[in-house]
Amino acid sequence: MMDKRQFLSKLEKAILTLPRNERDDILYDYEEYFSNGLADGKTEEEISSSLGSPEQLGKELSAVYYVDAVQESGTTRNFFRAFWAVISLSFFNLLIVAGPLIALASLLFAGWVVAVSFSLTLVGVLINTLIYPEIFEPFNIFISIGLTGAGLLIGICMYAVTGWMKHWFVKYFQFNVRMVKGGMKYA
Amino acid sequence: MNVQFKKGVLELCVLVLLDKKDQYGYELVQHISRHIELSEGAVYPLLRRFTKEGYTTTYLQESSEGPPRKYYKLTKEGNKYLQELLEEWWMFTEGVNYLIDGKGI
Repeated sequence: MMDKRQFLSKLEKAILTLPRNERDDILYDYEEYFSNGLADGKTEEEISSSLGSPEQLGKELSAVYYVDAVQESGTTRNFFRAFWAVISLSFFNLLIVAGPLIALASLLFAGWVVAVSFSLTLVGVLINTLIYPEIFEPFNIFISIGLTGAGLLIGICMYAVTGWMKHWFVKYFQFNVRMVKGGMKYA
Repeated sequence: MNVQFKKGVLELCVLVLLDKKDQYGYELVQHISRHIELSEGAVYPLLRRFTKEGYTTTYLQESSEGPPRKYYKLTKEGNKYLQELLEEWWMFTEGVNYLIDGKGI
């Protein structure tokens, strides 16, 4: 059993990473809820138990905040914060969100490695030629120009694919916040 | 009842009630919990999300008892979203009722 002070301090701890004004606003909402409940003749303990777990509510409120923030400004930092907040909602979320994200991120990483290494072959051949002019082969130059071109093209594609995947992941985060357990007491 | 389903229904209930009149959090929860069992605290994350998505706006109003209350008001977009959800709800329940009545076979 928790009284109002205990409930609010647990909730505050659970939303400590949120900006000050968001945190204050959230705490105001729950304080208002308590004062309305008290005026209604309930005890602080009854009110806090009907509200549910402050830790779980804090997780859900954080997820709501960060998923909105990544939509407002899609920085990588916001993306990972939203990702973290969504997977913290439940163990189930960890599986269904982190699993696909890690799989796709490794594919993206592989694509970028190919793009960058292809693009650098021309530079590599030129450096090699400067150091060992005696083993210069025109064939190497032609091949490396071709690979560099292909690498740059792959790079452009990877850039587009990366942006697109990020967009769909944010949509998926939103879906998770809407539909998956968090703050609900009865499973 | 599974959580995903309940969460979707809670969303619908909140929008339906706000469409009838502006309400503050506690009032809204009391109206819902009279008929549906829910974890009362979960209404606030939902209301905050609605406000961020532009489905609701808020304003403070003095009350005779305690601090000013934050009222939630449905916006035009919120109403549009409500109509979409209602349509889905009617189609869904109609289908389920049809099957329960044994007319599907």
